[in-house]
Amino acid sequence: MRNIITTVASAVALNVAIGSVAMAQSDAITIGVQLPTTGSEATYGIDMLNAIQLAADEINASGGVLGKQIELSPADAACDPQQSVNAASMLASQNVVGVVGGYCSGATQPTLNTYGDANIPFVIIAANSTKLIPANPGNAFMINSTGDYQAETAVDFFESQGVESLAIINQGDAYSQDLASLTRDEWKAAGHEIASFDVVNKGEQDFSAVVSKIKNSNADAVFWTAYYADGALLIRQLRQRGYQGVIAVGDGSTSSKLFEIAGRAAEGVYAFANPIPAFLPGAQDFNIQYESEYGRAPGPYAPLSYDGLQLMAWAIEKAGSTDSDAIQQALSSAGGMEWLTGPISFTEDNTLARSNFIVLEGKGGEWTRHEQ
Amino acid sequence: MATDEARRPTPFERLYAYLDAPNRRHTVHVIIILLLIVTPFIANQYTTVILTNALLYVVLCLGLNIVVGYAGLLDLGYAAFFAVGAYTIGILTQQFGVNFWLAIPFAIVAAAVAGVVIGAPTLRLRSDYLAIVTLGFGEIVRFTARNLEITGGASGLFAIPEPSLFGWRIDSASDFFYVFAVLAVLAYIASQRLYHSRLGRAWLYVRHDEDAAEAMGIDRVRTKLSAYIIGAIFGAMGGIFFSVNLGAISPESFSFEQSVMILLAVVLGGMGKIPGVILGAFIIVLGPELLRDLDSLRLLVFAVLLLLIMLFRPSGIWPDKRS
Amino acid sequence: MSFFDSFFQQLINGLVLGSFYALVALGYTMVFGVIKLLNFAHGDFYMAGAFVGFGALSLVSGALGAGWMGIFVAMLLAMMAIGCLGVVIERIAYHPMLNAPRLSILITALAVSLVLQNAALALTGGQYTAFSTDIGFGGFEVGNLFISHNQIILVATAAVLMIALELGVSRTMYGRAMRAVSIDKDMCRMMGINVAGVIAVTFFIGSSLAAAAGTMAGAYYGSIWYFMGFLIGLKAFTAAVIGGIGSIPGAMLGGLILGLLESFGTNIEFIGSEWKDVFTFAILILVLVFKPTGLLGKSEVERM
Repeated sequence: MRNIITTVASAVALNVAIGSVAMAQSDAITIGVQLPTTGSEATYGIDMLNAIQLAADEINASGGVLGKQIELSPADAACDPQQSVNAASMLASQNVVGVVGGYCSGATQPTLNTYGDANIPFVIIAANSTKLIPANPGNAFMINSTGDYQAETAVDFFESQGVESLAIINQGDAYSQDLASLTRDEWKAAGHEIASFDVVNKGEQDFSAVVSKIKNSNADAVFWTAYYADGALLIRQLRQRGYQGVIAVGDGSTSSKLFEIAGRAAEGVYAFANPIPAFLPGAQDFNIQYESEYGRAPGPYAPLSYDGLQLMAWAIEKAGSTDSDAIQQALSSAGGMEWLTGPISFTEDNTLARSNFIVLEGKGGEWTRHEQ
Repeated sequence: MATDEARRPTPFERLYAYLDAPNRRHTVHVIIILLLIVTPFIANQYTTVILTNALLYVVLCLGLNIVVGYAGLLDLGYAAFFAVGAYTIGILTQQFGVNFWLAIPFAIVAAAVAGVVIGAPTLRLRSDYLAIVTLGFGEIVRFTARNLEITGGASGLFAIPEPSLFGWRIDSASDFFYVFAVLAVLAYIASQRLYHSRLGRAWLYVRHDEDAAEAMGIDRVRTKLSAYIIGAIFGAMGGIFFSVNLGAISPESFSFEQSVMILLAVVLGGMGKIPGVILGAFIIVLGPELLRDLDSLRLLVFAVLLLLIMLFRPSGIWPDKRS
Repeated sequence: MSFFDSFFQQLINGLVLGSFYALVALGYTMVFGVIKLLNFAHGDFYMAGAFVGFGALSLVSGALGAGWMGIFVAMLLAMMAIGCLGVVIERIAYHPMLNAPRLSILITALAVSLVLQNAALALTGGQYTAFSTDIGFGGFEVGNLFISHNQIILVATAAVLMIALELGVSRTMYGRAMRAVSIDKDMCRMMGINVAGVIAVTFFIGSSLAAAAGTMAGAYYGSIWYFMGFLIGLKAFTAAVIGGIGSIPGAMLGGLILGLLESFGTNIEFIGSEWKDVFTFAILILVLVFKPTGLLGKSEVERM
């Protein structure tokens, strides 16, 4: 117990340090960025942080917001609930004007309270589990369409392909499990058959057992609801084993990286996505800029991340001050503008007011728009 | 380490001996209590939150210390007990509307049962096999929480109501700081008492020589099981208040990594030595927080620091002399 | 597909998966044999091996192509490199701890694992790397069964490595010394055996086997990333313990059993992939309840 002395001493030192940082930035507008930049989800978090940085640089280059520069304060959430709360309270203590971020739905959930209590506007970029909606105290805005929209898109698509029995695979995390069970329920409600409903663990590379099971079940289509890195392995192994049916993946898998890993196996794979850069004129520039800045292709949530910060900056500008309620008001009133990923406006629940999902098809090593 | 006896005490040992002296103990206790009381007034929200987290870790580490440090049973699945406490509260209060305080006894009983379930089949095993069985048990608990409907699946449970006590609604960061401070102090007192108790000496015997202990009339089975049960109850207490503090729980909080971090804290601080374990808990929680400026490199730097600490203090920072 | 087809298909799946587990489990068990350490960093040697193998392949693919020929050469290079890494880490991190409490060295291994993972994260920027090769998807179709050429090559390579190891341990001087060290280090020192040397060689072999598995896995599955060693490290640990930790044939058996359990668990109706790990761990616990030292482990008295 005596050691608390030293710890408290260092904590006080930390306080002072944070205080001084806040002082130094008083002529800038600080925006918190809550993303996982360590641990197993760092792949996605770092990619999103890059896109946000890109947006910040652009805003600052064109004069900033309210005449001030934007300063980012990244806080690693490590995709862990407690770490996320630590990150959130750090941002709250820094009195950031707003927060953008939120990747892992499970870890984002407990931070809603922290930001709610501190009354900080929070633009949730990627996390889109429907479980977040009732937990939102009102200051959070979800700019990714929620899982139920995607499930609808998926069911429509599979029906249009004449699919009767569907195999669904998720990765056992909040996001992909939510999407998988929503799709399962809608698919059953539409009077179709679920061939199999499987989980593979994050980090497993060998999906042969699940692949054999799907082949045996004679499923007409396979729907992978999790991320591209593991999705690519699944697609490879399905095609390798001679699976001929339709394969579709969720929005977490729409990265061009998928083609790098899965190779030609990914030809003809479908994806449900928020409009990705390839189809939006402004986004082409984003793609090029991202690649030249970071030497790699942007991941599935990079455009949304970019929009997240742009939206926050726009809201602050519109509010005309850094007052939290005014910014939230501005966010609620968002509409009529075209962003990288399309128009953004919110429902009463602060979720994206439209389904932004489109269907893509893998052709020639890249995503193309699939016209139904 | 037996060979240490002959040589001159190191600065560390002198410092520890100074702090450990019985006449100084009360002074140190009073200072710490005062610090615990004033901290929320002088610290900002972030510092309060991470110190609260450190106090939670103190409770968990002291609990694991009973299993590992006192009884010498390796446990790689300690997060399971933490999960049992958190989920019992989550399910009872959020899904069935049971009052928080009424739900606590259920959580404790559930944890004790879990302690017996994991303890009973492992009594014959040597430590390395014990490691995998406890690991397996921890994973079984986590996967079960992920798969079941009642535990909310991978998303877990949310909107777990905040408790009130005699009209005092426990909801702010400093409220929870005090709650965990009280828990940590209780865990400290209980650990201290257990260390000097009859049971504490029985653990020491069993740890050093099981057969001899049995020959001396110590009931091996009861002694080991009691370590698991008491350790489980500490873990569950942590989990109970963790769930209401976050207001949302999901399987990610109870992963193998969590178990490993708790074990790391115990061994790093000094197995069996209460102040050492507390120090370990603070290092494991505050270390990565203090390194936040390094962003995605922070865990790398932290891991290198851990490695260096272990290399320079192989028995932990503040080891127990009695081992 | 008939029950038998499905049974044999899962058998094949389980064997391939089990071969990877077995190769990694071998390193676990060998290291445990000589210094009684559960080397939790072992899975990360697998990850590091995959990255080195990837780098080596891009070096040699010009001359040898990126088919199995090139992969084997890259694999050998990766085995050398990671073998050396294993020896270096043993000298730096584990050697000074040999007289410390057992748990301290375990914690050191955990810290080493954290260092390796996070170093790889920093070096790769968290990116998944596509491990592109020229190996085809071809295979044999027997009725409804399908066995790919790659699967045969993988299982055969794993088998060759394991037989070589078994022969090495049972027939050579080094093998005898290794077994002696695992029984009584002090006695070995008195007998003039270079204990430190034996430990170094053991680390070299154990780590290089993990690197072999890592390179083959990278080539076969097609992608590598900084965290890929974590899960297989856990699985290999499980496999080594089922087989009886410290026992080399035990690790092979344990790896295969674990691979089979997972494959069949996924396909048994009332278990399914959701519960497959619960099923596996439950079987593991049952095995240990009835056979407290694993399937092929020797019972011995031990104190912590």
